[in-house]
Amino acid sequence: MRRLLSLGSALSLATAGVGGYALYASWSWPFRTALFPRVIALPLLFLALIELALSVWSAEGAREGRAVDFQFTDTVEPVLARKRTIAISLWTLGFLALIVLVGFPLAVPIFVFVYLRIAGREPWALTIVLTVVAWLIMEGLFDRFLHLPFPEGWIFALWT
Amino acid sequence: MLQAFIDGLFVVFQWQTFLMMLLGVFIGFWVGLLPGLGGTTTLALMLPFIYKMTPAEAFAFLLGMHSVVSTTGDITSVLFGIPGEGTTAATILDGHAMAKKGEAGRALGAALMSSLIGALIGAFALALAIPVVRPLVLSFGAPELFMLAIVGIAFISSLSGQGGRALLRGILAGLVGLMFALVGQDPQAGILRFTFGQLYLWNGLDLVPVLVGLFAIPEIIDLAVRGTSIAGELPHENLGRGVWVGVRDTFVHFWLTVRCSLAGTFIGIMPGLGGGVAQWIAYGHAVQSARSREERAGFGKGDVRGVLGPGAANNSKEGGSLIPTIAFGVPGSSSMAILLGAFFLLGIMPGPDMLDKHLVLTYSMVWTMVVANIITVAVSLFFLNYLAKLTLIRGTVLIPFILFFAFIGAYTSNNHLGDLLVFLAFGFLGYVMIRCGWPRAPLVLGFVLGRIAENNFYISTIRYGPAWTLRPLVLILIVLTVIVVCFPFVRFKGKPLMGESLS
Repeated sequence: MRRLLSLGSALSLATAGVGGYALYASWSWPFRTALFPRVIALPLLFLALIELALSVWSAEGAREGRAVDFQFTDTVEPVLARKRTIAISLWTLGFLALIVLVGFPLAVPIFVFVYLRIAGREPWALTIVLTVVAWLIMEGLFDRFLHLPFPEGWIFALWT
Repeated sequence: MLQAFIDGLFVVFQWQTFLMMLLGVFIGFWVGLLPGLGGTTTLALMLPFIYKMTPAEAFAFLLGMHSVVSTTGDITSVLFGIPGEGTTAATILDGHAMAKKGEAGRALGAALMSSLIGALIGAFALALAIPVVRPLVLSFGAPELFMLAIVGIAFISSLSGQGGRALLRGILAGLVGLMFALVGQDPQAGILRFTFGQLYLWNGLDLVPVLVGLFAIPEIIDLAVRGTSIAGELPHENLGRGVWVGVRDTFVHFWLTVRCSLAGTFIGIMPGLGGGVAQWIAYGHAVQSARSREERAGFGKGDVRGVLGPGAANNSKEGGSLIPTIAFGVPGSSSMAILLGAFFLLGIMPGPDMLDKHLVLTYSMVWTMVVANIITVAVSLFFLNYLAKLTLIRGTVLIPFILFFAFIGAYTSNNHLGDLLVFLAFGFLGYVMIRCGWPRAPLVLGFVLGRIAENNFYISTIRYGPAWTLRPLVLILIVLTVIVVCFPFVRFKGKPLMGESLS
């Protein structure tokens, strides 16, 4: 049961779901539109189900399946690691919410300031200097010099 | 021809041309470093400035800028784990892992020197290949290009781990990447696929937010979890001193660097394939160079060969992609398509004239790429030691800036808030993939090759029916795919899996 509920099983199931949905969606498409998605989706569904079965029923050897990719740090206590992962995920989502609400030019200095003070517990002087640096890069380089079109925040859009 | 080759060099060193090249190099240097700015976009932004330049000055300016972007993009990839350019993502896997081991200087030295060698080989391939490349390009039709994409995905999938389970996950990741590439309007009939009623998805998923998300988010999470600087609490005495070790590594693994450069050049020549593909194929080849399972297991954890391969290939492909652009007017990549625009702006027609009437100009382009890269690497080497020390900055200070550049980098691809959602979604996917031991490289390659593979598959099927599978070059590529998948099993047959020898 534990293996069935593992993250690996969930990923395999989601992958199989992508393959299955692609086959289902391609049903209503003309042949030339559906041809390639079907060619990809069929083996995707089949192999994902094999991977799912392997995840559930076969114990993965410590040596098998290691990806040539970077590995997460395993020297931090798991409970603390989970707590920090959730915290940084919330900060990231908070940054996105801030960008949507007040727009990039304001969100960047606000986020840098709040993160440095609250999450980083950095001293006031360093926090202020780095916030100004972030604002200068945002305003000077991306906004004034490169003229990137940053959308207005939703809050300001209410007044315009 | 030799006289034209020498004259090309003199043209680059005329003071106006040289000055334009330096200006281009300066811009390209910063464009490469900043994740928010792409080389292709900047090339497009710079086009209006070339109207009043002579052709030699204009190409010195544009190519000087474009040819160093990948070189300095590697610096951001190594130091912060964010791809400075879409073409430098593969460098992250081992380059950033080295930075986390306190070997940022060595990784940077290796990345820059391999980039230089790659650029030189690409440039000289351009010089040598122009007269003979025509039959090669013409022998590759749609069926061969489709099979080339399949070989690439099979290659990177088979090298993404150890054992059958890793191969299965590698192939699955490649297929998922191909699936993501199908989002948007179908190129044949214009029918919408997997867009879920969202206008944003009509043009498909953009490579930049996908790449930045897949690579930056897991690195940011890991940095936050560790609660230290990128280099951690390792001894820091050698941090900035490793640059010359990295430079030496390039010559220790010189043939690997040369082979990856040649692979990059070849992929550059093939229209439609590009730097996004070249770096991963080169990375796959670098992994393949491992002599034992233990050596292979070291890739992704900071093996310098994982830096040398992509570093060389993403620069050599520039020379390669110029070949079809100059010789036939067929751009090898999106940036070359923009460069083609520059040809027309300057009133020059690419094609046979470039090998005859404008031969000196053609060779001046070769020399521009050579000189620009030499200048960039020489200048960079002076302060790499200081750059490497950025990995000592506390994670809590770096994280808001890395997030800032990652968000901006993702946003600038389409200037749409949807890019930010794609960035976060792929960041989550990247995190889950690493947690579950699925490799990310095949997914990226599948995503990059998806559209190319579909177009060529469709053309092959419609034009030749099932008979396309019997074309001689296709048969060779099918056999090559089988070899590529089976090779790791055959090579390591009878040798213990990683860990067995230790236990």
